[in-house]
Amino acid sequence: MTTTTDIDATVAIESSDLSITWSRIAFWGIVLFVVGYCGVLLAAMGVQIFGNEKPCPLCMLQRYAMILATIPAMWIVADALRAKLTRARYASALGMSIVAATCGAFESTRQILLHIASPTDRGYGSAVIGLHLYTWALITFIVVILFCGVALMCSVSVIPVAPGPGALRTMARAVEIGFLVVIAINVVLIVLLEGFSWVLPDDPTRYKLINDLGFGLH
Amino acid sequence: MDIVIMIVLMATAFCAWRGLSRRVVMTLWVLGLVAMLGLFKYHVTSPLHLNF
Repeated sequence: MTTTTDIDATVAIESSDLSITWSRIAFWGIVLFVVGYCGVLLAAMGVQIFGNEKPCPLCMLQRYAMILATIPAMWIVADALRAKLTRARYASALGMSIVAATCGAFESTRQILLHIASPTDRGYGSAVIGLHLYTWALITFIVVILFCGVALMCSVSVIPVAPGPGALRTMARAVEIGFLVVIAINVVLIVLLEGFSWVLPDDPTRYKLINDLGFGLH
Repeated sequence: MDIVIMIVLMATAFCAWRGLSRRVVMTLWVLGLVAMLGLFKYHVTSPLHLNF
């Protein structure tokens, strides 16, 4: 015979299972955020290296904003993997991502308007699927702001929980390291691009360090 | 300046990954953000003549 206590226990277990499921979804959502921006940054670097299109100062500023928005997301993943993630820290990190993405959106908007302002301007660099990279950057910043907003709304009842030992956990760790590698590649590229100058030129056409050292490669 | 910002960002990401104290990560992150905004202000000098 089923008692009220048994039913309460069953409801509690089902509720707990549901909560864990949402926590796992939240965790993989944040991992996807990191993967997404790694992909965007790698694509931008691909255009730079293989398309031979040097990024302008505003393009670089948008990359910094993307990295600044992704660092808190990686922090959430790292803390969740260490089982040290608290609700307060989760909310704080999401807030940091929103601040960085908002700053990035301002930078992208400025660059978009800069090219709209001049009627003869065809935009900086080549278009990808009909839009210039800075327009895509604005779209990604808006997506991040919306994603973090929704995650903050749900943070009262859901915080990310990392999977137990196994392939999925290793995958999440690989994403963390992948992001660090992407930043490291960016460090190398900016050193090559800026050389011994204090800031990037408005319209860079060469890797300045290589020229500064007298190798004269473009 | 760009190199300095990238190094700060690299250090921030590394500290977050290693699980260093919240104060260290936050300080480095804010430093990176302020430096980025400062550089943005440096590059953006002329007003855009647009009417909406």
